[in-house]
Parts: sequence; C-alpha cells; structure tokens
Amino acid sequence: MKAFICGFGTIGQSVAKVIAAKQDFFSKRYGETLIVVGALDSKTYVCNPNGLNAEEIIEAKKKTGCVGDKKYTDIKEALDSVDFDILIEVTSTDIKTGGVGLENIRYALQNGKDVVTANKGPLALKYKELTTLADEHGRYLLFEGTVGGAMPIINLNKYDLAGQDIKSIRGIFNGTCNYILTKMDSGQPFEQALKEAQQQGYAETDPTNDVEGYDSACKVVILANSIFGRNATFSDVDITGITSINSDAVALAQNNGMVIRLIGEVSATKLEVAPRLIPRGHPLSLPGTLNTAEIITEYAGPITVSGVGAGGPETASAILSDIIDIMDERIGD
Amino acid sequence: MAVGRSIGAKMIVNAELFVNDLPGQLIGSIEPISMVDGNILGVVHNRDRIVDHRICVNVTFEVGDRQLERLKELWKARDIVISSLGSVHETYTMDYILIGDVNAQYIEGLLKKINEATTLDEVNVSYSSKSVRTASHTSLITVKARYEDNLDKIDAILRRECKKANVTYVRGV
Repeated sequence: MKAFICGFGTIGQSVAKVIAAKQDFFSKRYGETLIVVGALDSKTYVCNPNGLNAEEIIEAKKKTGCVGDKKYTDIKEALDSVDFDILIEVTSTDIKTGGVGLENIRYALQNGKDVVTANKGPLALKYKELTTLADEHGRYLLFEGTVGGAMPIINLNKYDLAGQDIKSIRGIFNGTCNYILTKMDSGQPFEQALKEAQQQGYAETDPTNDVEGYDSACKVVILANSIFGRNATFSDVDITGITSINSDAVALAQNNGMVIRLIGEVSATKLEVAPRLIPRGHPLSLPGTLNTAEIITEYAGPITVSGVGAGGPETASAILSDIIDIMDERIGD
Repeated sequence: MAVGRSIGAKMIVNAELFVNDLPGQLIGSIEPISMVDGNILGVVHNRDRIVDHRICVNVTFEVGDRQLERLKELWKARDIVISSLGSVHETYTMDYILIGDVNAQYIEGLLKKINEATTLDEVNVSYSSKSVRTASHTSLITVKARYEDNLDKIDAILRRECKKANVTYVRGV
C-alpha cells in the first residue's frame, strides 16, 4: 500500500521513520509493504511512486527547512501528483477553521483515499460531516492520535470495550496544563510555570489553546462524537482554562490533601473542560506531562489509562495502530 | 411485579438489644435487619451481660434511614428490647475553591442561597492566609449533604452565582 504524509513537522517525520522501521512487520503480516510515496510541508512537497527514503527526506527537511524541491500553491496539486491509498494528515491544528487539515481530509475522502489523522481541528469542528463523507465513499477515517497521543483511548473503547455502555470519561488531556499545574504544586506562580513550560518546549509561544482549555475541549468533542455517538462541536463545550488559578488556590487545595488539575469530562449529557480539585493519590492527580483518562464502564467499572500525550514518536505510535487497522481491513491480516 | 421501594439515605446504626435467653433468639434479633434491606457489619453476642434474664446483643449495620422505624417495629413485635440506638449518617462531601472577589460577606450570601434551595449537613469555609490582605480572595468551601441530589443543586447554584460575579469556581470530582 502507499501512503502520503501531509505535514512534515515533528509528527510527520516520526511517522516516516516508524513506517520505514516497520517494513519487516508489514511484509510478514500482509505479504506486502507500506511505502511513503509523497510528503508535504507548508511550502513544498516531494513524491516518488516507488517510495521515498525516510532518512533522505528528513535530512532534507533539517538542512533546507523544506521536505522537497517542488513548490505548490494548491495542496490538491501535490496530492494529485502521485497515486496513494492512505493520507496521513498531520498538519498543524487550527481549531478556529479546521485549517488546511480539514481541506486535505475532505479532498482525500472524496477521492477514495483512507485517512489517518492526528489533527484535532477538523474533527472537533466537522466530525459529522467528515465521518459521513468517509461512509459515503466507503473509506476509513481513523484518528486515535487526536486524543492523548500515545495513550490508547478511542480504539480501546471501540474494540476492547465494544458493546458496553460507557457512562463517562474524564481525564487529563493536555500535558502542558498538567506540567504548569504540577509546577504550581511546588510553589511556582502561574507565569513562571508557564515560562518554564515554554523553555522546555511543552508550551507554544502563544499558549492560548493549551491554558484556556481549547486543546482539551477539542479532545472532549472527539470523544463525545466517536464514543458517545453525539453530534457535538467545539462550541458545545463548557470551557474554563487555568489562567485564573493562582498560588493561593493551589496552596489551599494542598493543605486539604488535594491538587488542581485541568479535567475534561464527557458523558451522554456532559461536555466540560475545567480545573477540578483532585484528592492526592487519585488516578487523575497524575503529575507532569502525562495524559490520563478514567473510563467508567457498564460492566468493568472504572478503567484508567495513561500515556505520553504528545511528541513525535508517541503520536506516531497511535498513527501506526490506525494504519494497521486499515491494512487489516483492506488486505487482511 | 416488583415494586421499587425508597430506602432513603444510608446510615450506619449501632443497636444494643436485649433478647430472651432462649435458642434462636440471636438469629431472631438480626433477621429483621435483613428484612429491611440492611447490611450487617458486626454482631457481638454478650452472654456476660444479662439483665432480667435477657442477654445483650450489640449489632452494627447499614440501613436506609426511612427503614429504621419499620425495623424498630419488627424488633418490638419479636419481644426484643432496644436498649440504645445510635446512628451516623453517610454523607456526600464536595469541595469547592472560589477565586476572585470572594470575601466573607460574599460567601455568606452564597451559603444563604444554597440553604434556601437545599439542606446541608455541614459546611466549612476556609480562606487562604494571604487572601486576608489582598483584594482577590481564595476560599475553600467544603459541604456535606445527606443526599447526592443535593450536591447537584449546590453545584448548579455555585456555577450560576460564580459566573454572575466573575468568580472562578473549581469543584471536586
């Protein structure tokens, strides 16, 4: 099978590496390999119908800042330049409009391609439209990497907890906020903790999406739609960020055996992102940049999962599981 | 057809009973607890304590508060003497931290509104030590309610009032 990687930042490069590293696995499982025939960044693209060399295109990106030497004005022109089966959509998230990711996913599905994405924006804004489009064209649209990075949650509910009523899911879905709140636990004021998160590379220069809870809200919407069968969109989420959490509040919580964490909560009736008081030792009191989710199930009671919520190889691991899912269906394992 | 029965809020009860010193009386004293859907947590058959030819049985159990009167009637009907009955209600606790312009007067007003809408078993309010001197205050409110539904009502009131006053409200899980 052939894949096209749209977006060649940290995640795109990691996906290219992982696909290259798993050639033996694909051969053994399917009797054929998965090759990357196209890769695209914000300005350029490169394609080869016989497969691209992952090391070479990563090296080119590092040296020149561009993945290829062909410039484009319309992404469709790049996507049409080579035949492929799976679009791996990992351009940067735009939660206001869905950005180019939304256009790319639409275009790929309309043109008979399966899509794997870690891009939250399009799904948080247009979940119903995109899944309907995929169904209409008999294509797969898989997105495990959109929630919790390496932490398995969508496929866990879809496969391992299939048939059970999921009563609620609540969790830490933003590692940046959790890092900041953990630093505040040890006495740092919000501004200093944020600055440290930026220096460590956990927070963007503009941290709005993280600290205002928008990033977590996108994930809550995706869980609501994919697991609870709701037709929710970003604007339906009741969002409170962490910018008003001060040292006093953190100290007051600590003196009473609790910590403050930004929690996303979703159920059949609830869609919320808000700072919450969590008893120390509770699964949701996790420190650092990890993501965690507590799934309340019909028969199995509470199930807690956690994992690294962001990063190239971690998100690539979620993307790999979706690719395998598609290859299992298309080729058979 | 099964008929649903409201048992009310769960409470833990310790009862000191005196039963006739006859075979089967111990079982006869604890059987009514099961008849009212109670859950026996412990039984001490104190044969050293005899009053008027009756032996002391000390039993601790969990039961819905609306079932307690029926249980007492069942015991009386079996000629079991209730010497003492002590209870502890199970309560639901929720913590809230409010951040913003929340001085003691504001909190008092909030609690008044909550009390008008629902019943609280216990309320504790504490303020961060720093907040005494600054304009922006931070306070922790811990409420205990007998019914879980009451917490939902409290939650709705706090959410509404805090939004109105531009106060950040952080609740427990």
